[in-house]
Amino acid sequence: MATKIEYDDSIVKGFVISAMIWGIASMLFGVIIAFQLVYPQLNLGLPYTSFGRLRPLHTNAAIFGFALSIIFATAYHTVQRLCRTRMFSDTLSRIHIILYNLTIALAAVTLPLGYSQGKEYAELEWPLDLLIVIWYVIFFINYLGTVIKREEKQMYVAIWFYIASFVTVPLLFIVNNLVIPSGLMKSYSIYSGIFDANIQWWYGHNAVAFVLTTPFLGLMYYYLPKHINLPIYSHRLSIIHFWSLIFIYIWAGPHHLLYSPIPDWLQTTGMIFSVMLWMPSWGGMLNGFLTLTQTRDKIKVDATLKMMLVAITFYGMSTFEGPLLSIRAVSAIGHNTDWIISHVHSGTLGWVGFLSASALYYLVPRLWNTKLYSESLANFHFWIGTLGILLYIVSMWASGITEGSMWRALNPDGTLMYPDWVSITEELKVFRLARAIGGSMFFIGILVMIYNFIKTISNKDSGFEPTDLRVGVRG
Amino acid sequence: MDKFLNWFSEIADRWDTDAVRFTLYATIAVIIGGLFELIPPFFLAQTVVPISSVKPYNALELAGRDIYTREGCNNCHTQMIRPFKWEVDRFDPQGAYGKEGYSKGGEYVYDHPFLWGSKRTGPDLSHESQIKPSVDWHKRHLINPQATVNNSIMPPYPWLFEESATISVESIVSNMKALSKVGVPYTEEDYSKAKELLDGKLEGDALIAYLMKLGKDTANLESSIK
Repeated sequence: MATKIEYDDSIVKGFVISAMIWGIASMLFGVIIAFQLVYPQLNLGLPYTSFGRLRPLHTNAAIFGFALSIIFATAYHTVQRLCRTRMFSDTLSRIHIILYNLTIALAAVTLPLGYSQGKEYAELEWPLDLLIVIWYVIFFINYLGTVIKREEKQMYVAIWFYIASFVTVPLLFIVNNLVIPSGLMKSYSIYSGIFDANIQWWYGHNAVAFVLTTPFLGLMYYYLPKHINLPIYSHRLSIIHFWSLIFIYIWAGPHHLLYSPIPDWLQTTGMIFSVMLWMPSWGGMLNGFLTLTQTRDKIKVDATLKMMLVAITFYGMSTFEGPLLSIRAVSAIGHNTDWIISHVHSGTLGWVGFLSASALYYLVPRLWNTKLYSESLANFHFWIGTLGILLYIVSMWASGITEGSMWRALNPDGTLMYPDWVSITEELKVFRLARAIGGSMFFIGILVMIYNFIKTISNKDSGFEPTDLRVGVRG
Repeated sequence: MDKFLNWFSEIADRWDTDAVRFTLYATIAVIIGGLFELIPPFFLAQTVVPISSVKPYNALELAGRDIYTREGCNNCHTQMIRPFKWEVDRFDPQGAYGKEGYSKGGEYVYDHPFLWGSKRTGPDLSHESQIKPSVDWHKRHLINPQATVNNSIMPPYPWLFEESATISVESIVSNMKALSKVGVPYTEEDYSKAKELLDGKLEGDALIAYLMKLGKDTANLESSIK
């Protein structure tokens, strides 16, 4: 692994630490609000701790705190190695990480104070949005500058996914956050009613696509083959599924608005493209699986590899469930219910969460030049995390389908069978309690991982030794 | 199909040597769908059928809407009734909207931002004024939800009714002026009425005034369509 080029790994370390901090914050608030839905006393009767304010804090910390930190850590790490060059500018990297963490810290203050634009995942008020644009431009110049000055002729597939993400996210972000300010921390969307809804879900859906999916595919394409020391299964498949994925994803937003007053042609377009999206998504899943099978004998001995396997499995599952939920008849029962929460978390905990964890298990020992403190703790993290996700998504499936069915249940004379709303809520309590326990298990796994990393880092510079996971090699 | 995929992957395979060109092509790939779905709705007349009885929020109702956004009520309450019998029956129990009591685009023309929500943990509120018209009930419910609805999981909002929860007339007028810049037809008269409407009102009163506005303008929709 010795190389003559001096890579800037301090920026990678910085974002690894950011990811751990915002990861704890986002999941802690996730667990709190999950219990609030069962025990409303936990809202404490205070403005700052009520569900309506903490839920945006949970989602923003998870997407923009945890997931983005992972994306930046891995982007800085992979782009230098894949381009065989140091970052374009270390100064830009420093400014980026400082402004980025400042933004997330400000978000963690302003959201509980109730400053909100009122649109999901776009709650942050306009001064914070401007701050985001500034560090984003800085980062983008730095990233693309590095790719342009590369010493490697070809750009590897991981870079494609990162580039596609980095050009699309600002488009989505700026168009959806266009507001008219009426004070330092107050503004209104310039779009009204159904236009606002259409643009919001174009944004919301593609935030899932270009923050939680494509950068993580890039991550998979680098760390999976590197970890097992074997090439990816198919280059041709990666070309085909990359271009079809980014082209089709952007169209699927209106599936969030089926049966709403937005035009029918728009709903149908969203539905059709969502169903088509199934194939390119599975293209990525298959390339991951088939790469991984080259070393299947080693899966049982390596926790990082297990996490990758489970992450790809959840990617396949949630990208099948997504198109399913986009079909009108299925949306009729699933929309607005806990089923959607299940769907989101099989993607975020299963795919994003475990793939992030596997990248961290790959990075931390290498960055701090030491051995992982405990493989058995990593294994414990894997098991409690996997069981936690399963408990979470299965209980939310049950909850969502129960609630969707009770909403629509009619007596033989055509009247509602459950006119009393709380009687439905009562029915869901047990599932929501199970969900909160499942989420807590996943959170415990993350805490164990971070403990493991703290111990690992405290023993830094003791020398890193890679494990060879190729079949037939003893390790 | 295989020929097509071969042809495509051979062409696309050549794109990964030039970073700028690659970035450009990726941008084009993602922009096409966005343009197709975001631009035409603005120019198609039938995207929103106007409902003449729908009026902008007055100063008090707007103040209430701001509080609704601040408290994140839209995280648990939807404001969009889908065209199903069971949904219309539940959220329009008086039948005020007839069998067409689902949400129409025209109801939301003054909504910046839209507040449809994506999760119906509590009931839909789009026509709340027609379902629970009692101001007194809403006040008791907001202060302590469990006192009016046994086993409700809604958090309490007592701070909206504390004496300190007053509303600044100036900031509401400034908010109205901002909204007028994006197309809400407020008049000088609307601005001058703000002081009177907000006089002695607390945040909680404004929130209830907003709830009492939801569904009010379209309550006699069926007769107005005929």
